[in-house]
Amino acid sequence: MNALDILLALSALMPPAALLFGRWRGYAWLAGMVLTGQIILLAGCDLPLAAGMNLEIFGRSVGWRLDAFGRFFALITLGVALASTVYMGGEWGERHAAGGHSPRWLHGALAGNVLAMLLLLSSQDLIAFFIGWELTSWAGFLLMAQGGEKALRAALRYVPYAMSGAMAVLGGLALTLAWTGTLDLAALTGIMPTLDNTKLALLLALFGMGFSIKMGLLPFHLWQAPAYAEAAGAGTAFLGAISARMGLFALALLLVKLMTLTRVADLAFIEGLFTARDLLAWVAALTIVLPTFTALKQNDARYLLAWHGIGQGGYMLLGIVIGDATGSAGGLLHVFNYATYQAALVLAVFAVMHRTGTADLNSLGGLVTRMPLTFLVMLLGIIGLAGLPPMNGFVSKWLVYRSLMLDGRPLLFLMTVIGTLGTILSVYKLIHNTFLGQLRAEHEQIREAPWSMTLPMLALVILAFVTGAAPGLALSWVAEAQAALGLPVLAYTLGGIESPRGNLDMLWIVGVLFAGFGIGALLFYGAGGRSKRVHQLDNYAGGHFLSADVRYHYSDHFYAGLMHRIGPFYRSSFTRLESAVAAATDLAASLMQVWYRQTVPALTLLVAAVLGLSWMIWK
Amino acid sequence: MSTLQSIPVVAPPAEEPSGGGNLLANVFDELLAFCRSRSLFMLHYCTGCGAIELPPAMTSRFDMERLGIQPMVTPRQADILLVTGYVSTKTLKRIILTYEQMNSPKYVIGICSCTVNGGMYWQSYATAKKLSDYMPVDMYIAGCMPRPEAVISGLRELMENIRAGRSDNWRDYYQRYDHYLGNQQRLFGEHWQTPTDVIGEARHYGQFGPETLGEHTALLERHQTPLLPFEMRLGLGDVSKGGKS
Repeated sequence: MNALDILLALSALMPPAALLFGRWRGYAWLAGMVLTGQIILLAGCDLPLAAGMNLEIFGRSVGWRLDAFGRFFALITLGVALASTVYMGGEWGERHAAGGHSPRWLHGALAGNVLAMLLLLSSQDLIAFFIGWELTSWAGFLLMAQGGEKALRAALRYVPYAMSGAMAVLGGLALTLAWTGTLDLAALTGIMPTLDNTKLALLLALFGMGFSIKMGLLPFHLWQAPAYAEAAGAGTAFLGAISARMGLFALALLLVKLMTLTRVADLAFIEGLFTARDLLAWVAALTIVLPTFTALKQNDARYLLAWHGIGQGGYMLLGIVIGDATGSAGGLLHVFNYATYQAALVLAVFAVMHRTGTADLNSLGGLVTRMPLTFLVMLLGIIGLAGLPPMNGFVSKWLVYRSLMLDGRPLLFLMTVIGTLGTILSVYKLIHNTFLGQLRAEHEQIREAPWSMTLPMLALVILAFVTGAAPGLALSWVAEAQAALGLPVLAYTLGGIESPRGNLDMLWIVGVLFAGFGIGALLFYGAGGRSKRVHQLDNYAGGHFLSADVRYHYSDHFYAGLMHRIGPFYRSSFTRLESAVAAATDLAASLMQVWYRQTVPALTLLVAAVLGLSWMIWK
Repeated sequence: MSTLQSIPVVAPPAEEPSGGGNLLANVFDELLAFCRSRSLFMLHYCTGCGAIELPPAMTSRFDMERLGIQPMVTPRQADILLVTGYVSTKTLKRIILTYEQMNSPKYVIGICSCTVNGGMYWQSYATAKKLSDYMPVDMYIAGCMPRPEAVISGLRELMENIRAGRSDNWRDYYQRYDHYLGNQQRLFGEHWQTPTDVIGEARHYGQFGPETLGEHTALLERHQTPLLPFEMRLGLGDVSKGGKS
């Protein structure tokens, strides 16, 4: 038994253990210890590792083998699962159980997700991959459906997407087998690029659609925000931080390893001008901009973050599609960075919900004096999400920007910058409406979230800060993943990257930033450090005497001036497209039903039988 | 209101700076006063018709900004409170609230005759006649209404007073708070209070004097419900974190 066997066996034990002992208080600590052990085991083992377990399906061997690319994603998965499990184990879990939900199913669904993802990430051939893919989808559905009526409704909306995605993947799989005669990923690496352009384009369309649905790429992104936002707290953090990245994992595997980016660039729509690779890059760029600006309009903190989750996926794909050492490192690093602060942000939002009972951005405000630690987590988290120093989000976005500029794609660069602008605006709305401004009278007595909730959040943002100040720590994994995937490997240092065209040293940037704060503090405290706190009702409102029943916290219709300009661009086109597709499917199904049920069934049967027989004879 | 002499048309000359003959002794204070006089942010509390003269004074024709004077949206960052016209009893409460919310040093300018003596509303039962009864006024710009030239001339004089250290009436509000509070209570009734802790601020600015407290502040303290600022609270048992109150 090697490390991968132990890893998978432990993960396989956890879902039944969760279903049996999930109600027991100590279960979260037990699961936390198992996950910690798995992380240590995985971080320490030598790769690649082949699992001892092998199956035989239809005469084909199905096996599991983990390389550095899979390990990169697996480590993030386990880390986020650890934070979510600890969060669930304390007061939040008790409240969740008291609300009539089952802690066993929640723990079980989370553990099931971890198992499914590990199986997917370590798949050696396309059958194992498809097993992992389907398990991930259904485990994801289980986790999404844990949060009550609305969550179930949102999760059910995911089902048709997941099914059509799975059908597309299955179709691609069948065609791959027919055209190449093998399903082994290592063997396909050599064969798939030699297929002719038409076949390659069809495979790219089928697999690409299936993977895009999981990742929430445009135009298949509509299911994701409600499904992730409505799920139960810790589940939302896990789903938002890593679940959708399985789609990115699969896309990167397909584009870089199996097909190779040069072959993808051969598939031209307009010869020499617009290729499939450009299309992917533009889809990624639109995935950054449109969902980010949808997030800007959300009034529910959970939805706001979930929409950003879709948008941030665009940066990752964009970096990988550019495919040079800097860009792909930025894209992959963004998976890790995003997971750290997104999980922290979602957990912080649910900590606020735990205390106040709402995530509605129009009914919060001023919580900084009551929940200072949660405020700190959200502050550092949004700095990361907006991609500003000193947090790690800056590093990965910087790498992507830089590769876009070096690659000579100024329009795509512009799109990413517009996306970042939208992110900054909407995360400011998030923290302002939640923590700044007027504390409502009904929230005056609330307290900071308990340690079981603040500890995982703080650990995540500290990780985001440390890997922001010293990105070399995370870049070592990224470089291994790049090598395993066959991408050019980034030359990194502890502080950032070293390149003849300019270095990035975050140690210096963070040092200078804090030196600036230090000078400010010296000036302030050197001048006596005199400050005076006043009550929030001792505030200026055009001379009005404020009282606790007066709302002067500006939250509704935030950015009214901006919306006046860009408001007409919001047309819900994708929602209408989704309704149109749904209506068309419905109509086709009804027509079919009319045809074989109501209009002379005997004749229908006869026609079908004759057609079927003649096809068989012709064959 | 009976004696015109009590209106400070010309500010009393300030004491000679004590430098002991050394020209450089006050160089830092003078530099500070010079800079302060050249960057004035004003909060215009447009109470009456005088406000109509401010847009031309502020915009391109007379362009107040070339003197370093700009409008400011909140009292916390403002230096000048501009009261532009008649002050009804109801408005006066708001002006006092706004004045107390400004950070020191702060200056008050009364524009129009109404702020000097009630102007055409001198008979009205609901109009405060003399603004300087309720808060220290640094400069009156009389007229009905004063033209932008007069406004700018008044502002320039205020700037010169600030530069020369002659305009420090804001200290008077802290040092003789009891007097001003007494006038306010006479007009608004004995239950009058604002959210600002003026006596605490007097100590904060080192302006606490023998006339800060008196019978009127004693009356205030009897019924005052203080607004203590919210402290940062971790809420873990009795552990609470910092924040001066």
